[in-house]
Amino acid sequence: MITMAILLVAMALAALWTVTANLYLRATIALALTSVILTVIMFRLGAPTAAVFELSVCAGLISVIFISVISLTHRLTLQEFLSRRQNRFARFRYLPPLLIAAALAMYFARQPLGVSLPWRETVTDARSVMWDLRRFDLFGQVMVLLAGVFGVVTLFRGAKNRDGR
Amino acid sequence: MNLIFLTILLPLAAGLLTLAVPGRWRGVREALLLLATLAGLVSALLFYKTTLTVNLPWVGFGLELSFRLYQFSAFIVLAVAVFSFLVALYSCWSMAGRPSAGQFFAYLLLTVAFTNGAVLADNLILFLFFGEALLLTIFGMIIIGRPGAWRTAVKAFIIVGAADLCLMFGVILTGKLAGTFAMSQINLPLGGPASLAFIFMMIGALAKSGSMPFHTWIPDAALDAPLPFMALLPAALEKLLGIYFLARLTLDLFQLRPESWLSTLLMVIGALTIVLAVMMALIQKDYKKLLSYHAISQVGYMILGIGTAVPVGIVGGLFHLLNNAMYKSCLFLSGGSVEEQAGTTDLTRLGGLFSKMPVTGACFVVAALSISGVPPFNGFFSKELVYAGALERGWTFYAAALAGSFLTAASFLKLGHAVYFGRASGQDNPVKEAAWPALLPMIVIAGGCVLFGVYNALPLHAIEPVLGARLAHSFAGGPENWWLVLATAVVIGLALANHFYGVKRSGKAAGASDHIHYAPGLAPVYDLAEKKYFDPYDLGLKLAGALAQFLYWCDRAIDWLYESLAVGLAAAFSGLLRWCHSGNLSNYAVWALAGAAAVIYYIIR
Amino acid sequence: MIYLFIFIPFLALIVINLLPQGEGEFAGWAALAVFSAQLAAAALAACGLIGLGGGWLDQLLHFRLLSDRTGLLLLFLAGLVGGTALLSGWRLRGASRSNFINLLLIALTGINGLALASDLFSLYVFIEVVAVSSFVLIALFRERSGLEGSFKYLMMSALASVLMLSAVACFLVAADGMSFAAVRAALAVPGNYLARAALGLFLCGLFIKGGLVPFHGWLPDAYMSAPAPVSVFLAGIATKAAGLFTLVRLVRLAPASADLSAVLLLVGTLSIVVGALAALGQRDMKRMLAYSSISQMGYIVAALGTGSALGNAAALFHFFNHAVLKSQLFVNAAAVEEQTGTRDMDRLGGLAARLPVTGTTSVIAILSTAGLPPLSGFWSKLLIVIALWTAGHQFYAAIALLASGLTLAYFLSLQRRVFFGRLRPELENVKEAGAALLLPALGLSALTVGVGLVFPFILGMFIK
Repeated sequence: MITMAILLVAMALAALWTVTANLYLRATIALALTSVILTVIMFRLGAPTAAVFELSVCAGLISVIFISVISLTHRLTLQEFLSRRQNRFARFRYLPPLLIAAALAMYFARQPLGVSLPWRETVTDARSVMWDLRRFDLFGQVMVLLAGVFGVVTLFRGAKNRDGR
Repeated sequence: MNLIFLTILLPLAAGLLTLAVPGRWRGVREALLLLATLAGLVSALLFYKTTLTVNLPWVGFGLELSFRLYQFSAFIVLAVAVFSFLVALYSCWSMAGRPSAGQFFAYLLLTVAFTNGAVLADNLILFLFFGEALLLTIFGMIIIGRPGAWRTAVKAFIIVGAADLCLMFGVILTGKLAGTFAMSQINLPLGGPASLAFIFMMIGALAKSGSMPFHTWIPDAALDAPLPFMALLPAALEKLLGIYFLARLTLDLFQLRPESWLSTLLMVIGALTIVLAVMMALIQKDYKKLLSYHAISQVGYMILGIGTAVPVGIVGGLFHLLNNAMYKSCLFLSGGSVEEQAGTTDLTRLGGLFSKMPVTGACFVVAALSISGVPPFNGFFSKELVYAGALERGWTFYAAALAGSFLTAASFLKLGHAVYFGRASGQDNPVKEAAWPALLPMIVIAGGCVLFGVYNALPLHAIEPVLGARLAHSFAGGPENWWLVLATAVVIGLALANHFYGVKRSGKAAGASDHIHYAPGLAPVYDLAEKKYFDPYDLGLKLAGALAQFLYWCDRAIDWLYESLAVGLAAAFSGLLRWCHSGNLSNYAVWALAGAAAVIYYIIR
Repeated sequence: MIYLFIFIPFLALIVINLLPQGEGEFAGWAALAVFSAQLAAAALAACGLIGLGGGWLDQLLHFRLLSDRTGLLLLFLAGLVGGTALLSGWRLRGASRSNFINLLLIALTGINGLALASDLFSLYVFIEVVAVSSFVLIALFRERSGLEGSFKYLMMSALASVLMLSAVACFLVAADGMSFAAVRAALAVPGNYLARAALGLFLCGLFIKGGLVPFHGWLPDAYMSAPAPVSVFLAGIATKAAGLFTLVRLVRLAPASADLSAVLLLVGTLSIVVGALAALGQRDMKRMLAYSSISQMGYIVAALGTGSALGNAAALFHFFNHAVLKSQLFVNAAAVEEQTGTRDMDRLGGLAARLPVTGTTSVIAILSTAGLPPLSGFWSKLLIVIALWTAGHQFYAAIALLASGLTLAYFLSLQRRVFFGRLRPELENVKEAGAALLLPALGLSALTVGVGLVFPFILGMFIK
C-alpha cells in the first residue's frame, strides 16, 4: 500500500515536472520518467500487457520521436530562455484553487464513492479483445491515423519553402 | 332565383361600372344610374307579389347563400327601388358638375345593391355581411361631401361600426342558441341568453335606424355630406333597413310579448328618441340640421310602435316607416333645392320663397303637414295607429308621443314660416324655381303622401300580412278612436298658438321657438347639448383622449423599460461576456473543469 | 448495405489519392458524388425503400452496427452539410483543395461511424476521428488565427478525451462491457454510483465537444478562425455530430432521473441565454453565428432534458433544423466574405442590393432560426417549448421563449448591419457570389421552407 502511494506521488511529481520544465528536452525526459513509473504501477496492478505497451510505446517510441523533432529546432537564445524561465509558473495560477476544489469535491463525494468496486476477473486476452471484439474501433483507429497523416501532410509539407528555409 | 340575384347584382355591376367610366364621358354615368335604378324599380314591381327562396351552399358551417323574397322583403325592396329611383333622378340634377359626382353615383348604386342584399338575406351572417358593406358606402358618401367631412365620416363609421360589432355578437349568440343561422327557421323565446342576443341585435338595428343614443352622426352628416345622401340614406334607406330588421327581430326571430321588459325597454328608447330629438330640432336655425333632428325623432315613433308588440302598434310603426321615408325624402329634397337656388340653408337669412319657388313650397307644405300629423295626410294615420298602440301599453308613452307631435308641428311651423312665408331678409339675388329633375321626385312623393293618406288601404294592405295570424282585422280606413283624433287636433291647435306667440315675442319667424330655447331651466341644457356635451361619441372621444394620454405615459415607461433598461441590460451582459471571452485558453479550461466537477458531483450525489 | 456508409467514403479517399491529381477537378466531383449518394441513400432508407441489413459483411466483419432512424438522420445531414461545405470550398485550388477534400472524406467517415456505432468506446473513437480531422481543417491555411483556433480546440478536446476515457474506464469496471445494452443495464441498477459517475464524466466530455456553456471556450475562436468552407462543415455537422448526436445516444441509455434532467436543463438554458447575449455584442459575422450556434444547441440539450418522448423528438427535429440553418448562414457568411473581403459587420451594409440571393436566403434562415411560422425552425422551437411545459418545467419554457426574442434581436441586427441599410461606397462594385455558393444556399432555403410546410412528414421519416 505504502509502495503504491509512493509510486503514485512520484508519478504525479514527474508529471508536474513535465509540464513545468522550461526546456523541451527536459520535458521529454520527464514524460518518459512518468511513463516508466506508470509501467511499474501497471505491473503491480497485474496488467502486464498494458505495462509492456506503455513502456514500449510511450516511454520508448514517443520519446524517440520527440527527441528527433527537438533536434530539428534551434536553441533558445539566452533572453528567450530567461523570460520563459521567469514566467514558467504563470500558466499554473489556477492549479492551487483547482487542487483545493478537487480535494473539497472528493471530501464531499467520499460518501457515495465509498462503495466497494466490483472486481471482475478479466481473462480475455488483449489480442482477442483487439481483433475479435473491437473490430469497428480498429477501423476507427485506422481513420484517426489517416487523419493524423493527412494532418501532418497538410500542416508541414511545404512549410520550409514558405518560411524560406 | 335569377330575379333575386338581379336585384343585387344589377346595381352592384352598374355601380362598379360607374366607377370605371371616365368623367369626360358626359351623361354616361347619369344614364347608367337612371337605367339601373329604373330597372330595379321595374323588377321590384314585377315580382312584388311573388315568393321565392334561394339556397346555395357557400362557405359551410351554417353559412349559406340563402335569400328569401316574401311579402315583407318584397315590400321593402319595392320601397327601396322607388326611393332610389327618385333620389337618382334628383341627384342627377343636384350633383351635376361636381367633381365627386361619379363617386356619389357609384356609392348610391352600391348602397341600393347592399340594401337589397340585406333585406333579401335569409341568413343572419349574410345579413351582417351586407350590413357591414353598407358601412363602407356611408363612409364614402360622407367623405366626398366637403373638405372637412372626413371627421364626420369617421364619426359615423365608428358609431355604426361599433353597433355592428354588437350586431355581430348578437348574430353569433343567436346562431348558437338556435343552432342555425337561417332567419326563417329561428324563433326563439326571450329570456336568459336569448335576451342578451336580442339586446345586442337590437343595438345593431337601432344604430342602423339612427335612434338615440346612436344618432349623433346624423346632424353632422346633414351639414357635411352631399344632400341627396341625406334624402337617401339616413332618412330612407338606413331607416328602412334598421326598422325592417327590428321588425324581423320582434316578429320572427324572437317572440317579443307585450308584457316583457324588453318591449318596455324598446318603448322607452322610442319615447326618449321622439322627445329629445324633437326638442333639439325645435331650436335649430339651419334647414338641413333641423330636418336631420326630425329624421331622428320620427324613428322614435317607429320604435315605439314596434316596441308595443301589439298589432296596432306594429302596423303603425311599419306604416310610419313608409310614410316617414316619403315625407322626409321630400323635405330633404326641398331643402336641397332651397340650398341650391338660394345659396344658404340658414333660416335667419331665408324668407318669402313660396312666391319664387311655388312648386317646391307646395311640396314642402304637403310634407310638413304630413309629418305634423294633420289629416288627411299619411302621417296622420300612421301616428294615430302608433298612438293607439302606445295607449294600450300605458298613458305615459302616449303622452310622450303626443308631446313629440306638438313640438314637431311647432318646429315645422317655424321652418315653413321662416323659409317660405314672411319677408325675405337680405335676399337680393333673384331666386328661381328648381329644374324639373329636382321637382319631379318631390311632386311624386308629395302626391304619394296625399294618396297614402286618403287611400290608406293601399299601403296598409301591403303591410298587414306581415303580422300574419296575429292580425284580428284591418286597420285601413279612418281612425277607430275619435278621442285620439280630438287630442291630436288640440295639440296641433296648441302648436299653432305657440308659434304665433313665439313670432310675436321675438319679432321674426326664425325666432318662433326662442321662448322655449331660452326658457329658464332649459337654456343651459340646450347650451350644453349644442356644445355636444350629451353626445356619447364626443364624450367617448374625450374619454378616449384622456385614456390615450394615460396610455401614452404608460407606453413611455414601457418604452423606457425596453429601450433603455432591457437594451442596457443586454448590452451590459454581452459586454461582460465579451470581457470574459478573452481568448485565454486556461480560463476556458478552468470553466470547463469547474463545470465538469459540478456536473459530476450533482449526478452522483 | 449499411456497411457502405462507412466504406464508400474510405474507398473514395483511397481512390482519389491513388489516381493522378491533376487540377483536383476529379477529386471534387468524386467527393460530391459520395456526399450526394449518402444523402440520397439515407433519405431512401428513411422512407423504407432501402434495406439496412448487414448481409454477408456482417458475418465477415462483426462490426455490430446500429441502424435506427436517429442514425439515419445524422447520415442524411452529414451528406447534406458535407456536400454544402464541399461546394462552398469549390474555389480552393492546389494543395489546399486536395487536403480539404481528403479531410472532409475522413471526417465524413468519422461521422458515419458515429451514426452507426453501438458501443460507447467506438463512439469515443469516432469522435476522435472527427476531432482530429477538424483540427487540421481549421488550420488548413496555416494562418496564425487558424492555428490558434485549432490549438484551442485541440487542448479542450484533450480535456474532453481525458474525461471520456475516464468514463470508459469507470464503465469497464462498473458495467459488463461498453456496448449500449451493457451500459444501459448498468445504469438501470440503482446505487451503481460508479456507473453514474462515468455517465457524468462522459456527459462533460460531450459538453466540451459540443461547446455548451460553460464548456464552450474553444468554439467561437475555432468557428471564427476556420476557413469559410470549413466553418460550414464544422458548425453544420462536425461538432454537432461529435457533441450533440452522441449526447442523444448517451442520454437515451440512462434511465430518466431528476438529476440528469436538471443538469441537462441547466446547461441547456445557460447555453441558450449566454450564447444569445454574447451574440448580441459581436462585430464579426462568423463569431456572432458561433455564439448563436451555442444558443441553439442549448435548445437541443434543454429539450433532451425533459426526458419525454416529445422532448426527444423535438430535440432531434431542432438538431435537423439547426444543421440546415447554420450551414445556410455560414454559407451566406462565406459569400459575404468572399465578395467583400471582410466579416466585420460595422464595415458592411446594404449588401441586399448587391447580393440579392444571399440576402434573401439569409432572411429566411434568420426568421426560421428565430422561430417564425411557418418556417421549419418555428415548429421545432414550438415542440421544444411544449415539451418543456408539459414536462413541468414552465420556468425553462419561459426562458426558452424569451430567448427567442433575443435570437430575433441579434439576427435582425446582423441582417440590418450586413444586408439592409445604405450601401457603403466602397462596396459599390460588389457582385453576387458564384453558383457554388448560391446553389447550396438556395437548396437549403428551399429545405427550410419546405420542411416548415410538411414538417410532420420529416418528423415521421426520421424521428418517430
